[in-house]
Amino acid sequence: MAMTVENASPSPVANAAGDGIAITGLSKVFSLGRKKVHALEGVDLHTPQGSFLALLGPSGCGKSTVLRILADLDQPTAGRALVHGEPPATLRDSHHLGIAFQDAALLPWRSVEANIRLPLEVAGIAVQPALIAELISLVGLVGFEKARPAQLSGGMRQRVAIARALVVEPKVLLLDEPFGALDEMTRQRLNLELLRIWSERQTTTLLVTHSISEAVFLSDVVAVMTPRPGCIQALVTIDLPRPRTPDMLRSARFHEIEDQLSELLFSGGVPTSGDDV
Amino acid sequence: MRRVLSSSRAAGTLGVIGVLAFWMAAAEIWGVRKGIPAPWSVVSHLQKDWHYYPTHLKATLARAGRGYLIGNAVAIVLGLAFVLVPFVEKALMQLAVATYCLPIIAIGPILQVVLSGDAPKVALSALSVIFTTLIGVLVGLRSADRTSLELVRAYGGGSVMQLRKVRLRSALPSLFTALQIAAPAAVLGAVIGEFLGGEKGLGIFMINSQQALDVPRTWGVALVATTVAGAGFAATSLVARLATPWAPRTAKAGA
Repeated sequence: MAMTVENASPSPVANAAGDGIAITGLSKVFSLGRKKVHALEGVDLHTPQGSFLALLGPSGCGKSTVLRILADLDQPTAGRALVHGEPPATLRDSHHLGIAFQDAALLPWRSVEANIRLPLEVAGIAVQPALIAELISLVGLVGFEKARPAQLSGGMRQRVAIARALVVEPKVLLLDEPFGALDEMTRQRLNLELLRIWSERQTTTLLVTHSISEAVFLSDVVAVMTPRPGCIQALVTIDLPRPRTPDMLRSARFHEIEDQLSELLFSGGVPTSGDDV
Repeated sequence: MRRVLSSSRAAGTLGVIGVLAFWMAAAEIWGVRKGIPAPWSVVSHLQKDWHYYPTHLKATLARAGRGYLIGNAVAIVLGLAFVLVPFVEKALMQLAVATYCLPIIAIGPILQVVLSGDAPKVALSALSVIFTTLIGVLVGLRSADRTSLELVRAYGGGSVMQLRKVRLRSALPSLFTALQIAAPAAVLGAVIGEFLGGEKGLGIFMINSQQALDVPRTWGVALVATTVAGAGFAATSLVARLATPWAPRTAKAGA
């Protein structure tokens, strides 16, 4: 298979225009009693529309906070976040946002179908049964339309969560470790499916993850974050060609990028000399 | 599962046999001197007295039923208001706690003066369920899954939408537990209300038999009152099981 030989360089980003996700000088301070915790400090991120960005970092580095600010679930202390030129609140109110968390958060009393329908009901958009059926087949759950969450495996529940995130036909997809609680095999399979689903739609996507291989396999750009206060340590453009295939997971280039990222993660913010970092 | 159920049923039967044995032994040892009739004498007396019961039972059930409905309705409305408008909770929670701490027997005479007819008895019955149901509703509404609530928010929903799509259904298991506890409490409230006087009702019948020194009959009334309260508890738990099939429950709660 053809591989580009360029370096995956942590350059100032691939696309400075940032007409997809545009985060500028984002800071977030949480007050815990009298103590102040700096979750984020001066985060800058810019991606073009339709790109897949992964936020990679150890737990507690504030990567979920970035996602929560984009979803208008948290307010930044300073800085600005725009998605497709719109602030998160506008995005939220115009229902252009699809979101999935590590916890599938399915309502236990609703069937698969009814759970996928939920965002439409909340947004007050008429439900088209054909769309629901299409999404169910897209995530491979045909035959489970009427099943309750308790009857599904963890992987199946996450599939429902992904279908639910897509039901509003979002311009932006926010994924907060959606497969983080699954076993490695299920996770790989779902990543492949996510890739397939994403390439059909090319939705601007932000994936929060602590899995290096997941980040490399799925993304156009990986932003490596350092903890306390969370900031972007490096941006690495993933130059693996698309469409990505499972055999790329075994390619030399894949491992090279993986090594580069883990070095970045474990160097703790100080780029090692002698490398192209 | 079946084994667990059958063993819990066996334990339950054992418990009932134990109580009966203790009762029989107590009646044997202290007997008439302490006013403890034997179980069979209570039951045979009950059979003989049975024609007295329907009118009293009907009166008590009507009061307890109204108290149950009114009290729970008030509690549910309060609970919803507390969750939707935090200020209401700050303003009214103290009052709710106060009604719970106030001995019901102390409010009785006051209500008797202020209200007339059946109202004081119904009010006592309602008062004895409000607080427990309110707490049940609050715990239930607040037990809603945080991620599900955020999901509704991320799709543009506000707190009313969160209530409609997530909180109300999440509150049901806890609400039903509270309603189960409320059923016997409503009967107890009504009976205490009847102690204050009147013509019909289990409480009045009980006081009358006690004053007539008819010990087995007093025990019989107590037994009937207990059965009514227990039936209310069981009926609510049956409704709960049908209404919330997704909720996990222990074998005990469904008993």
